[in-house]
Amino acid sequence: MATLTLDSVSKVYKAARGRPVTAVDAVDMRIADGEIIGLLGSSGCGKTSTLRMIAGFEDVTSGHIEVGGRVIDNLLPAERNIAMAFEGYALYPPLRVRDNIGFALLRDRQPRAEVKRQVEEIAELLEIVPALDRYPPTISAGQQQRTSLARALIRKADVFLLDEPMSQLEPQLRAVLRARLKDWLITRRMTTVFVTHDQTEAIALADRIAVMEEGVLQQFASPDELKERPANLFVASFIGEPPMNLFEARVDRSRSGLGLAVLDAGGARAFELRFDAEVAGLADGAAVHLGMRPHRLRLGDRAGAVQGTVTSHSWLGDQTHVGVEIGGTECIVVAEGEVPARLGAPIAVEVPLRAVHLFDADDGRALFHGSEAAS
Amino acid sequence: MQRQTVIGRGVRVVLLTLVGLFFLFPIFWVLLMSFQTNQDILRIPPSLVFTPTLENYGALISGRLESTAGVLEIRFMNNLMNSVILAVSSVALSLLLGIPAAYAFARFKFRLGEDIAFTLLSFRFAPPLLVLLPLALYFQQMGLIDTYIGLIWVYQLITLPLILWIVRGYFEDISEDIEHAYRLDGNGWFKTFTRIAIPLAKPGIAAATLLSFIFAWNNFVFALILASADKQPVTVGALAFVTASGIQYGQIAASIVLSVTPTLLLALYAQRYLVEGLSLGAVKG
Amino acid sequence: MSYLSLGKLKKRFKNEVVLDGASLDVERGETVVVFGPSGCGKTVLLRLIAGINEPDSGTVHIAGQEVTYLAPEHRDVGMAFQNFALYPHLSAFDNIASPLSARGVARGEIERRVHEVAGLLKIDHVLHHLPKALSNGQKQRTSLGRALAGNPGVLLLDDPLRNVDAKLRYEMRLELPRVLKAFETTVIYVTQDYKEAMALGDRVAVLMGGGFRQVDRPASIYKDPDGTDVARLFGDPTVNLVPGTIEGGTVTALGARFPLAVSLADGPCQIAIRPESITVTLDEATSAGATPVDLGIGEDTHAVPVELDAVTPLNVRAVMLLRTADGRELLATCSEDEASRLPRGHGRGHAHIRAADLLLFDPAGRRVRPGERQ
Repeated sequence: MATLTLDSVSKVYKAARGRPVTAVDAVDMRIADGEIIGLLGSSGCGKTSTLRMIAGFEDVTSGHIEVGGRVIDNLLPAERNIAMAFEGYALYPPLRVRDNIGFALLRDRQPRAEVKRQVEEIAELLEIVPALDRYPPTISAGQQQRTSLARALIRKADVFLLDEPMSQLEPQLRAVLRARLKDWLITRRMTTVFVTHDQTEAIALADRIAVMEEGVLQQFASPDELKERPANLFVASFIGEPPMNLFEARVDRSRSGLGLAVLDAGGARAFELRFDAEVAGLADGAAVHLGMRPHRLRLGDRAGAVQGTVTSHSWLGDQTHVGVEIGGTECIVVAEGEVPARLGAPIAVEVPLRAVHLFDADDGRALFHGSEAAS
Repeated sequence: MQRQTVIGRGVRVVLLTLVGLFFLFPIFWVLLMSFQTNQDILRIPPSLVFTPTLENYGALISGRLESTAGVLEIRFMNNLMNSVILAVSSVALSLLLGIPAAYAFARFKFRLGEDIAFTLLSFRFAPPLLVLLPLALYFQQMGLIDTYIGLIWVYQLITLPLILWIVRGYFEDISEDIEHAYRLDGNGWFKTFTRIAIPLAKPGIAAATLLSFIFAWNNFVFALILASADKQPVTVGALAFVTASGIQYGQIAASIVLSVTPTLLLALYAQRYLVEGLSLGAVKG
Repeated sequence: MSYLSLGKLKKRFKNEVVLDGASLDVERGETVVVFGPSGCGKTVLLRLIAGINEPDSGTVHIAGQEVTYLAPEHRDVGMAFQNFALYPHLSAFDNIASPLSARGVARGEIERRVHEVAGLLKIDHVLHHLPKALSNGQKQRTSLGRALAGNPGVLLLDDPLRNVDAKLRYEMRLELPRVLKAFETTVIYVTQDYKEAMALGDRVAVLMGGGFRQVDRPASIYKDPDGTDVARLFGDPTVNLVPGTIEGGTVTALGARFPLAVSLADGPCQIAIRPESITVTLDEATSAGATPVDLGIGEDTHAVPVELDAVTPLNVRAVMLLRTADGRELLATCSEDEASRLPRGHGRGHAHIRAADLLLFDPAGRRVRPGERQ
């Protein structure tokens, strides 16, 4: 319930031998009061180090961290008024689940009846009511994780840190608990930073996501922004399931509008795309990475559609994933609902300009997003 | 958060040096003694300055010890050979019996399995002397006393439980699925045992072999009672240096150096097997 | 008789009954996915088929022969393990070659077959590596290659994608059917991911409570589950369950009254509604010009007033947490584009539900179909 600012924060680990390792490299983040932030990346990307620096378990090598405008770099973890849920749960084994959750409140000498009411409220939210009077070692991993989450969420803190808060969740509960958690955080205006390696979870919960890789903040933006305007190839390929279809391509400006010659693995021309759009900046013949989000592509035979063959087909109840081979390249198309398709049958794929993202062939930086030109 | 101060590091170095000295000093002293004459050794106060001599080693190898009291026949080389024969054969036999048994205990849950395994281990608990007296009588009757076979048999009390328990632990650490996969590929259980289980338990087998070899090599009391002069190992043989005319410290030291050398070399050689990890290529699960 | 036939398999460990009369028939060349919650006995079932364990009672037949107590090496069964179970001291090549060399296949033929399998699985470039030098995805493919190399009559895959990351899992989910078809083998595939079950199975066998609850094509199970427990296993988010009452050809639930196309006896019931069959309109949105018809809401839908508590976008669709007037939670999904127009916090609106999308169950959770109700 306060702002949180990371001002050029770095973390360098000195190795016993060899060169020092930069785990977090000059990360800047300005987080508004009540905002929900996801730190997303694969293991070793620096997201957990960042979280631990905010919590005070790691020293900041350089830079500053501020909570509500107050620099907290040199405060002990206990002095920071930050609540944290640990990835390893860190529950107190000799205490019942109920007392684990209410621990901080009881320590602050709050009336027992009030603590009981609050514990039961959050236990209901996270579906751990039946486990309340049991001891942590006797409950399932999923329940332990939710207990740890409840213990953090029940506190009155300036900032809430959640380390992989829902990784152990039972699949049947996942969607509803995510939604309830989000509702809880929003209605109480809780400033929250959570760490996850699961991009689905980040997208579901966060107002903004900080995508990290090798200690560097790649992009810090809303989920929509990450999907529609990824800053570079890394972000584009990390966000989205199924992942973005990626091809090598060459820009063709020999005629008006934007032309793209898509290449197969051997560098031969696989198929061509042409859009009637005014696009500035892309030079004729430039080598680019072409990215297309699977659910922005459409199955259908309107003008400009490319012809391919069905190589895989899976219907998942509410959506259908179709694998299409086009001139030696493979691409995935996701359609809503049930779409019939037979393996080996011809199929046409429409590529709206909106589906197109172009990235620099050398450094992977974004050059062009179809959604910007289309709107 | 853990910063090491210069003082802290200094204290650590000093402490480690002290501990190292404490443990290494006797070995160092024995090594020095082996190059000294008995007179040098017995000088008071002891001195680090002396003229090194190979006399002790020479006497051990040639088998003749000339002292002021006369010429003493010693059979050190013979004893060394006995040690090698006894330790190597005992360990070999234990491996032959122990590895399949360890595999059985690790993989098959049969009735009384745990009890049998524990009984075997309990051989290590009994004081050897307690076992020895009745055993000496039996061996006398069976004609096994003062034979290599009899000694090797008794040495199983030392080596077999060690090999069984160490190797069993290693077998248990191998994912059963790896063996199941090999069976499903079309191989019988024996081939699975020899081609999968044994190669994967190699570090454990090496460790167990080394340990049981050292224990067998260092055994004293079994051989003291069950073997006569021409079958006894170096541990017992060293007693010969305690003569009526005095104790031949120099020769004792030299024989210690010579008899420790094989085990030391073996340990150094086996080290790479010992540190090699298990279950490479499988996911923790 | 079917190619693989399991007859009333029972297996208990200590005091826990894992399988209690599980029967299943699998045709030659068919891929059947055994799917169920964790701890339902899926892996035990595979081990009984493979011969790693023996059942307490019941039979296993492969190709018309009883193999219930036959040693694994004589069964013509290949298996890929969840933890890969590669031979750590052998190269990827020798791992894959293992079933061939066990059968004494000539060296040249082994070379040819291993390279063929490895090519299909795209691991020909790492064949000389030891398992520890392989990435997780390559290990997984090597383990699959080993299971396939012997061209076994029955191929058992024990949750083979469990230990690879999300991207590789997705890739393999698309690729596997093609690989399996290339070998024309009979496949039993175990998973606890409903997406894998639906994407890979010719049929899905739902294993619960020691036996098979429902065995059918994925579409049939998804659209026509036999019980609420089966229904809840499929879909992300999972199906909504609400109580209702059948009375005189209609069913009342969530404060609305839906006509029934078939006649069912009166009484209480449970109703399952898939999140994707609930369409949500917000009061502001509808007043802003969009009509129910624009949103695909037809005549036969019924509107339930709801409060929108939270929106959690997924990858392709977004999930809405709704609360009805009586405090009941409903999950609905909508497309990503629709979701971007929804508020961050709460909102008021209506959930539109078609009578045809309701799945009816009796209070004990068994499916109610016309003429079946006791």
